[in-house]
Amino acid sequence: MTTKNQQEIQIPECGYTLNTIYFYLTEGCNLKCRHCWIAPKFQSEDAEWPSLDFELFKDIVRQGKALGMRSVKLTGGEPLIHPDIDKILDYICEQDLQVTVETNGLKCTPEIAEKIAKGKNPFVSISLDGSEAAEHEWVRGVEGCFEAALEGVRNLVKVGIRPQLIMSVMKRNAHQLESIVRLAEKENVESVKYNLVTPTARGEQMHEQGETLSIEELVKLGEWVENTLQPSTKIRLQYSHPNAFKPLSKMFSRPQGKCGIFGIIGVLGSGKYALCGIGETVQKLVFGHAGTDKLADIWNNNKILHDIREGLPKKLNGICGDCLLKEECLGSCIAMNYYTHHDLFAPYWYCAEAAKAGIFPKTRIRPGSQYEKVI
Amino acid sequence: MSAVSRFPVANPMVIFREELDEWAVLFDPDANETFALDPTSVFIWKLLDGKHCKEDILTKLNEACNDTPEDAPQHLDEFLEELAGKSLIGVEK
Repeated sequence: MTTKNQQEIQIPECGYTLNTIYFYLTEGCNLKCRHCWIAPKFQSEDAEWPSLDFELFKDIVRQGKALGMRSVKLTGGEPLIHPDIDKILDYICEQDLQVTVETNGLKCTPEIAEKIAKGKNPFVSISLDGSEAAEHEWVRGVEGCFEAALEGVRNLVKVGIRPQLIMSVMKRNAHQLESIVRLAEKENVESVKYNLVTPTARGEQMHEQGETLSIEELVKLGEWVENTLQPSTKIRLQYSHPNAFKPLSKMFSRPQGKCGIFGIIGVLGSGKYALCGIGETVQKLVFGHAGTDKLADIWNNNKILHDIREGLPKKLNGICGDCLLKEECLGSCIAMNYYTHHDLFAPYWYCAEAAKAGIFPKTRIRPGSQYEKVI
Repeated sequence: MSAVSRFPVANPMVIFREELDEWAVLFDPDANETFALDPTSVFIWKLLDGKHCKEDILTKLNEACNDTPEDAPQHLDEFLEELAGKSLIGVEK
């Protein structure tokens, strides 16, 4: 049985339904995170940066729904500093779209939390890079942001949304992976996700300056999180290493970590369409502008989207091309792979480094691969 | 009628790799496809040697597990049919 809404939606000409739009609502951010992969400009009382026009937002949503869109992700920059965030949340609710919000939590007031809670199956993640203010604020660059983020968490919990905490793991805070879980338990959050600092934009500088963990340390931490830390808590933990490093039991009991790239497009604060937020730093992954280009034209005809659909996963090269789990993983993050190698099908940095170090899981390598010999 | 042999046998070309959590990866080089087996499926896979019939496999499963479900024979049939459908085990000619 199908609902009226489902009957009205036709599969787009390209054969791929647009499931979600990632809205990078603002070009500015009220924090100065030293690892940010998008590197927005700092927004303070003295400086306000452009954000996505509300009328344009509505127009994009209307066009997205015609291509099958059922959900949106609001991110940034920082989505909750958008001047029309109230109207945006109301409109998403009116349109009956599932909403995900990625925020630093500072502007997650009780009123905003209420509005998010009125949406369809809302999911909110709040960045918290340590269990103590010193670590979090060293990463985030603004004094007082630790308590403000926690206040945002509490405002969400009060209205019935148990958010996810996202911790970006680096040398400075690696000793707090466990204590953040205890904080998460105390604050009654839904899950903790450990993001690994990627060599993109400001994260690239951190890698160059030796402020990130080595591949050996990251792989060991991942095993420890999944085999030791997870059994110690009822809170769901998600360590963002590629599928090749995850136990099969975890991958198939609760699938995670597969990018929905075949059903996603990004919209930047400027109104440009892009693969995702990578469009802020990689011009070649910008596909057009919502003010002048129709979303359907881009979705159906853009060459890069076409190449991705045709090429993933079979054209993946390097260790990713020889990984037995490439159908599940799809190269982990095409945007990052392109940023690093100017090649959509280049291997993911984590897997390439692990293969070079001889610690890529050998049961996951195609028989006969050159990478088998490295082990 | 089922295409599964009375004494099913794993396709010898398929790569079987056990992992630490008792799951396993199956890789079919001809089709370039990968499959994941959970621990029960791994147990069954190891008995697909052409010497064990379905009844033997069920007996071994009952011996190894304390709480084999009543519909285990049906699940086993479905699993073997699925493997046969993907050419991961031999079929009756």
